[in-house]
Amino acid sequence: MRQGESVLQRRISLVELLDGESFTEVVKGFVELYKVGIKVFDDKGGKLADIKVGNGDFCGYVFSFPEGRRRCTSTVGRVKDGPVALSHGARLPVLESTDAPKAKGVVTVPCFTGLRYIILPILWEGDTLGRVVFGPFFPEDLGDFPPPSLTEVSEGFDAANARKFVEKVRRAPESTIARVLLHFAQLLQTLLFAGQKMFLTSQLHIEATLEQNRELEERNKKLEEMNQKLKDLDRLKSAFLATVSHELRTPLTSIIGYSEMLAEGLAGPLNGEQVDYVRTIMDKGETLLKLISSILDISQIEAGKVRLTFEPMDPFELVNSSVSSLKPQSQKKGVTLEAKLPGRHFQSTGDRDRLRQVITNLLTNAVKFTPKGGTVRVLLTELTHQPDINAQGFRIIVEDSGVGIPADQFDKIFQSFYQVDSSSTREYGGAGIGLAIVKSFVEGHGGVVRVASEMNHGSRFTVILPAIPSAQTSVSITPPVTALQAPADDRF
Amino acid sequence: MGRAVSEGWSDQPRPSKSVTNRWFDGTLFDVQLNHAQRELTVKIVYYGPGLSGKTTNLQMIHQRTQPDVRGRLLTVETHDDRTLFFDLLPVFFNTASGFKVKVKLFTVPGQVIHNATRRIVLQGADAVAFIADSRRSASPENNSYWKNLNENMRENGLDPAHVPIVIQFNKRDLPDTRSDAEIEEARKKGKEPVVGAIAIRGVGVLETLFAVLQSAYRSLDARAGLSKNIQLGEREFLTQVFQNIDTSGTELEKVFPPRVKAP
Ligand SMILES: Nc1nc2c(ncn2[C@@H]2O[C@H](COP(=O)(O)OP(=O)(O)OP(=O)(O)O)[C@@H](O)[C@H]2O)c(=O)[nH]1
Ligand SMILES: [Mg+2]
Repeated sequence: MRQGESVLQRRISLVELLDGESFTEVVKGFVELYKVGIKVFDDKGGKLADIKVGNGDFCGYVFSFPEGRRRCTSTVGRVKDGPVALSHGARLPVLESTDAPKAKGVVTVPCFTGLRYIILPILWEGDTLGRVVFGPFFPEDLGDFPPPSLTEVSEGFDAANARKFVEKVRRAPESTIARVLLHFAQLLQTLLFAGQKMFLTSQLHIEATLEQNRELEERNKKLEEMNQKLKDLDRLKSAFLATVSHELRTPLTSIIGYSEMLAEGLAGPLNGEQVDYVRTIMDKGETLLKLISSILDISQIEAGKVRLTFEPMDPFELVNSSVSSLKPQSQKKGVTLEAKLPGRHFQSTGDRDRLRQVITNLLTNAVKFTPKGGTVRVLLTELTHQPDINAQGFRIIVEDSGVGIPADQFDKIFQSFYQVDSSSTREYGGAGIGLAIVKSFVEGHGGVVRVASEMNHGSRFTVILPAIPSAQTSVSITPPVTALQAPADDRF
Repeated sequence: MGRAVSEGWSDQPRPSKSVTNRWFDGTLFDVQLNHAQRELTVKIVYYGPGLSGKTTNLQMIHQRTQPDVRGRLLTVETHDDRTLFFDLLPVFFNTASGFKVKVKLFTVPGQVIHNATRRIVLQGADAVAFIADSRRSASPENNSYWKNLNENMRENGLDPAHVPIVIQFNKRDLPDTRSDAEIEEARKKGKEPVVGAIAIRGVGVLETLFAVLQSAYRSLDARAGLSKNIQLGEREFLTQVFQNIDTSGTELEKVFPPRVKAP
């Protein structure tokens, strides 16, 4: 929801429209030019500008008499807070005929001293935002000075003194003063317009920036929620897979076990053809069992349930034992399997069983995708500094001369259930989870897996492992996020 | 700021206060109707894709309106004439019953990046004029801004059932513009009034303004009872505005004969 009301939604006051300092400067300049004082008030009586000229001595003299002070205060109150209307002693100003249409709302207020004020309402978009008080000035049309209303304030009032002081007050016909005031009104409108533009745009700039921040924060929150939901879903999926594969594995072991007993003649002799059939059942059963086991593995990894246990181990033994376990398979397919080990022996730390599975999975893949007559090589490097993981470590490289992997698929092959194209599933079998397991086990050790490949020439997987893994003991894989798109609601 | 001693004037201006009320069904209605100030503010927002002609609409209205009932046209633009924050044209009048009415016409910035500003300017709108580019190639853009309008209305708590929208098909002078039949078809897709326009020539601009002001009045009247509470009928509302606008050469000429030609 929005953050409070915009400046566009509320009434703007005069203070906000007129910049204090520069406005005072403008008024000062105007007062110096025309020698008439100007006061500017907002609609609550707040003062925005007050520049006096010429009347100080005269008004000071009047103010020195108690009755003069009383009458003066009343007049000042009238011009400042009284209505800008033809009431409370105000009358229409004397104007040149050409000025009349421009002088909407302007009133003249006489002072008891004989001087005068002219008041101009500040109109803005149909509102009265305040007033300009112009004066006091000495009207040319004034007859006797001082008038009785002034001399009567006190016994000791000195008319000659008053005449001397009033010399300094601007003397002009009322219509002239009114014209000057109308000039000021025009200037004021320009200032107000510029002030409004400045004020609104600077405020809106701030509002828009705040709003943008808020929007970003909200979007982040939504993303986080979505992410959490996906994680929950993922956990559910893993739990489901774990249950299902467990439920499948149990009866499958029985199938294999009973088949084995049959094949060995424990239930009576079988003829050659029958033995062949039963062995096929066993073979396929084993394949299925492996598949289910790897599904179970990946689901446990994804559920964050796998703990790696690190202990001292021998990488040489690791490579050798993996190679020998793959030997039968490669021989059967007619693929040469070679291992190359470094001259100097070394030890490392890691989860032996998981790492054996890593190499076995890589070799199984290599053999699977290499055609008859091809070669699969596994290479163990010496213990040196490994820049990729910025630690002392070693590499296990598995190379094949198989079909290769397109470069744009390098990332995806490490995702669960991914095959480069769906036809490869049919041709090569497997569920596409071997590499996902490899990646998570290696990363669990603080290592990385790299892949390089040339189409139709072969692939090379490089596993880089630290000699001693950092403390991390469990890993989980986050599945890719698929964006959902809402259907468009077209009006045009 | 000090207040000088003065003999109390009973008719001093009172402080302004925006009136928020609860409607009988409990929903909030926040009409900018200020009884203390005897003042009503009506906010109209010109919305639509970038360069569809929103600013042009306001410029045309400004040109044709008597200076004593409107303020200056406030525009904040980049060097290439794209609206940066908003444009604002205020129009004001007093009703026969002595209520002050301010109609504020705003435009939003159409460029995609200014969405936050669009949402701010849209706050509290009483009606929206959606300015679309009628070229066929502009349909995807129009659709995306239509969606954007609805999202931003929702974000601002504006109920589409209370905030009427008028659609203007602008730029009908350009090649590839939709035919009359196609516009007719578009009209039938929704309930919004549809007006064809060539804003740069002033064609359809006042007709759009009329439609959007009429919709705004009806929606405000339904919510705040303008005719009952402030004795302001639809006819007076529209006449007060259009009698000060030069309607010559438009469809409104017969209803509101121009008193004076625009300066
Ligand atoms: N041919 C033609 N051009 C128009 C018409 N209306 C506006 N234009 C032009 O379209 C361009 C953009 O008009 P604007 O009014 O600035 O557009 P806008 O919607 O305010 O644009 P943003 O401020 O960026 O959101 C200007 O060059 C106008 O002259 C029209 O009816 N026909
Ligand atoms: Mg614009």
